[in-house]
Amino acid sequence: MAFDVGTPINTALLLFIIYSVQKIVFPSTSPPKEIPNEFRSGYSWLPKSHQPTVLFKTYTPKTLEPFHGKDNGRILLAINGIVFDVTAGRSFYGPNGMYGNFAGRDASRGMAKQSFDIEMLTPIDQPLDKLADLQQDEIENMKGWVEHFSNKYIICGKLVENNAA
Amino acid sequence: MAPSISDLLVTDDLTILLGLIAGTVFLLRTFYRPQPLVHPILLGRQSEVAKVRNPGESAVYRNYGTGLMNRFPLRPHKDVQVLTDLVRSDMEAPRTLWDTKITNAALQDRVASFGTGLLRLADLQSQESNVLLLLNDCIEFLIADLALSSHSIPSMTLAAANLLSPVLDTHPPSAIITHAEFLPTLLELIYDAGEEGRHHTIVVVGEPSSRVMASVASKVKVLLWTDVEREGFKVPKIMTPLPKPSDVFSVSFFADNTGHVQGTQITHTNLTAGVAAIHALFPVSALLSSLDTIVSSHSLGGTYGRAVAYAAIFEGTSFSTTESSKLFRVDEGTVKQDVVDVLSAQLYSIPSATILFLKPTHLDALVDAILREAKKSFLLNAFAWRHKISGISEGFVSRDTLWDRLVYDAARANVIGEGAGTVRAVIVGGGLLPANLLTPARVALSCPIINTLTHPAVVGPVFALHALDLQDFSTVEEDSAKSFAPVGPPTVSIEVKLLGVDDSAVEDGADPSGTLVVRGPPVTKQLSGEELETPSGYVNIRTGESVSSGNGDDEDGWTNLGVKIRVLTNGAFRVVV
Repeated sequence: MAFDVGTPINTALLLFIIYSVQKIVFPSTSPPKEIPNEFRSGYSWLPKSHQPTVLFKTYTPKTLEPFHGKDNGRILLAINGIVFDVTAGRSFYGPNGMYGNFAGRDASRGMAKQSFDIEMLTPIDQPLDKLADLQQDEIENMKGWVEHFSNKYIICGKLVENNAA
Repeated sequence: MAPSISDLLVTDDLTILLGLIAGTVFLLRTFYRPQPLVHPILLGRQSEVAKVRNPGESAVYRNYGTGLMNRFPLRPHKDVQVLTDLVRSDMEAPRTLWDTKITNAALQDRVASFGTGLLRLADLQSQESNVLLLLNDCIEFLIADLALSSHSIPSMTLAAANLLSPVLDTHPPSAIITHAEFLPTLLELIYDAGEEGRHHTIVVVGEPSSRVMASVASKVKVLLWTDVEREGFKVPKIMTPLPKPSDVFSVSFFADNTGHVQGTQITHTNLTAGVAAIHALFPVSALLSSLDTIVSSHSLGGTYGRAVAYAAIFEGTSFSTTESSKLFRVDEGTVKQDVVDVLSAQLYSIPSATILFLKPTHLDALVDAILREAKKSFLLNAFAWRHKISGISEGFVSRDTLWDRLVYDAARANVIGEGAGTVRAVIVGGGLLPANLLTPARVALSCPIINTLTHPAVVGPVFALHALDLQDFSTVEEDSAKSFAPVGPPTVSIEVKLLGVDDSAVEDGADPSGTLVVRGPPVTKQLSGEELETPSGYVNIRTGESVSSGNGDDEDGWTNLGVKIRVLTNGAFRVVV
């Protein structure tokens, strides 16, 4: 058998072998130009962005109102001066949800009295509801809801009067 | 004649041969790739981040293994409540501490005898007295520390020798324990301070010369260590009530980066949490065990060195320290932190070192020496280096490869000596490691190199890389000679936050960067300014009763470490230049 690599298949196979052997014996050692963003693209990789964190802000009734979720944005609501981010519960607090009235508003009275009526909400340009006329068991009920919301949703701010911020 | 398809596709025996070879080579390349030691997907999320952050601050970060909801590990084992519990009675095998081969039971006996002897001969009162330990790292340091803690007498230690006179001035101890060689210097200091009118009790390790003994003033009582131990051995042991884990057992004085003397109170809980953090540095496949030998270059007077020593005691390993960790010397020279220093620990009769706790300067010198040795076999080294680097860039390193046998084992043996084959992990702390040293170190030592961030106010490491993490983020453009290597996520018992963060930059997606504050069981309570300057009431054993909250504290118990640091997107941290 003459050593003849003139046939194309043999040449192709020989080139493939030479290429592979070269890669095995001389592996590349240069660092990549950019740090990859996927773990499949390289071992030394970094995710593209940080874990999302919410900045703790001070809200007034006027600045809280835009977060009603009707425009697919974040949904916030306030109980007892604490603002919760309830975007995860869009089905409840979104525009078509059962408790949609509360989105972007101070829901303290509604939570205390266990009612979702519009009358429970104070208009935005008036001072905050002092909750002075609530019974002790209603206050306890509201505090229970604060506890529930703290475990389920993110506390992302506090609610103050319109002219205090 | 134009070649037809059948002419092009002609095959013969050579084709079959080449085909087989090509197939083999292809399979080799595809399946013989080294597997990463830890899957890179796990390295993409190393810290658990809180969902909310205050303005001007970053979110709170914890180790991903601990999580945000769980409590911090306070101790390496549920039975370890106070310091003396770290000497486990259920371990029976002897191990070598510096030059002494001793079992845990014998160590406990010595601790009890010394404690009793000291209480009797030096007239110390539990909870009232305090003792200054002016000892270089030796077994007597540990025995004294354990004995004093079991009788609720706080010990005072120094992280540097030049802190001695300020500390003696402001916090005169009831007794001092020191070495025989250092006794003349100490006596001089006492006489110079005009204090020879006050009663001093000094316990001396070793045999002081009779000339020195003759120069001792009348009000200064000098006892020999061996006498104290013997005294305690023959009489029934004094039992004091067990200390509570929140009691202070030691005060460590160190100089901060402005040069001022700072002191920090270490409680039993701080130390057990620090030992738990060191235990968690090692992966499950390679935990510390009594077969290991730990060599540390961090002095026992500082919090980190103490955590390492007690971790060695708890795990039952043999332990010794390097020459540079000796703080108190008779001669004025400083020891260079290089390879000779690392090898000096081996001069004690410990078995060959398996785990090294070093400073960055030691690692630099060691890696430099090993790589220079390896370059002597020029051609082989060129291949070996390439293969090692490409293995590391895939996440794999090992001491058993062909290239180690050909090149690096010999290089390591020439530099470290016969013990070179046993080193299985190196933990770097007590300084900042340059970024361009990390990968060459992994090639040279071919074992996990764990970079940590330490601080004198925290017992144990603050941040530590995952043991099997081999990532290297130096790209072609970045100047890695100037930047520092990443230090990884916070350790299992610490949570961290950054202050002074630029909110608008972070909201846009930049890396949060600011001053580091920490909170957690290993973080000690620093003494406030007035507590440092006056001796009155500075060390209340029950830390809950101290009035001032310490100058490093902030509301909610965060301690400012004064380090500028940045968070990467995968949860690892990196010190900013």
